[in-house]
This record gives sequence, structure tokens and C-alpha cells, in this order.
Amino acid sequence: MMSPHQFRLSHFQAMVIFALLISVAFGFLSRRGAYQRARYIFWSFILFLVIGVGIGWAMYPFSH
Amino acid sequence: MPDEIPIAETPNAAPVAQSASPHSAPASDRHRRDALALTIAAAAWFLPGLGHALLKMWGRALIFFSTVALLVILGAGMRGNIFSRNGEDAFAKLGYVADLGAGSFYFVARALETNGPDVSHSNGDYGTRLLATAGVLNMLAALHAYEVTRARKA
Repeated sequence: MMSPHQFRLSHFQAMVIFALLISVAFGFLSRRGAYQRARYIFWSFILFLVIGVGIGWAMYPFSH
Repeated sequence: MPDEIPIAETPNAAPVAQSASPHSAPASDRHRRDALALTIAAAAWFLPGLGHALLKMWGRALIFFSTVALLVILGAGMRGNIFSRNGEDAFAKLGYVADLGAGSFYFVARALETNGPDVSHSNGDYGTRLLATAGVLNMLAALHAYEVTRARKA
């Protein structure tokens, strides 16, 4: 039985949450101004996902 | 020599204080700033976001606090491995350093993970990464607060 503080996430959910949190933190760390930060966060988030899914597909042939 | 300006002898003048020297004032100011920067970095490490809050950077303070807190809550909730100081190999020791980077949240993670780690499933493995990320991110934020205090960054 899962305790109230326990989470079970799929691979994709874990990747999306990780990408979002890190993009936001890096955006606030490295950029000033709302527009610059939003731009950085958006692109960082998209690239995290695209590269993550890309690496996943690149490894697909080795798992079979 | 014609370029030299003659200085009158003033026997009754008070001795010049050390701080009046053109070089000692910036040096003491620099030492004070360094000490302040170290204090702020320590505060930023101990409680994520506190360093930036002390510098009145409220947005960054809120974001670092929430991000590190969420990563720790998720990582512990996914039953990630929280490394202890008795690591057997280099990776365990590195993991301990990364986890400890979260400051007081390291102990929060330990308190939250009542059932212990479970890295036999991918969930636990991801949780381990999230916990390490929380620590490294907090160390990065502490370094940023240190650099800002030393006026090297905006």
C-alpha cells in the first residue's frame, strides 16, 4: 500500500516534471526580465523534451 | 624639484588614521563583502532561497525554494535513494555530496521517506536523480547568491 507521500510516475511524466522544474530554475538563474526568462524557459523545456525523446528513440534498437 | 608641492610641518596635527589611506579602505570593504558573501552563501545552502531573499531578490528566492522543495518531495515520494555519509564507493560518496547540497531539505527528504528507498523499480531510480538534482541546483543557487553579493553578477 502506498503512503500519502508516495508517487508513482511514468517515464514521460517524470521527464516532463524534471524538464519543467529545471527549465524554470535555470531561467530565473540566468536571465533577467520577464520576457527573457519566459523565452529561455520555453526553449529549454522544449529542448529537454525533444532531446530526451530523441535519445530514447536512438536507444530503441539496442533494447530489442 | 619644481613639481613637488612643499608640505608644511604640522606638529600639532592628529596622526592619520589607518583607514584614511587610499588603499586600506577598499581592502577592508572587500574583506567585509567577502565575509558577507560567505554568510549569504551559507544561508542559501542551508535553506534554499534564503540567500536570494536576504539580497531582496524575491522572485529568485521563491523559485529556488519551490523548485528544490518540489524536487525533494517528488524524489522522496518516488522512494529515491538518499545517500548517507557511510558510502561504500565513490559514487555513493558523490551522491551524498549531491544530496547534502539541498541543505536542511536533506533531512526533510529523510523524514519524508518513511518506507526507505526502493531502486528496484525505475520510479526509485528517477527519485534518486531528482534528489541529487535538488542538491546540485541548490548549490548552484548558493553560488549565484555568493557571486551577486560580491557584485560579480546581476
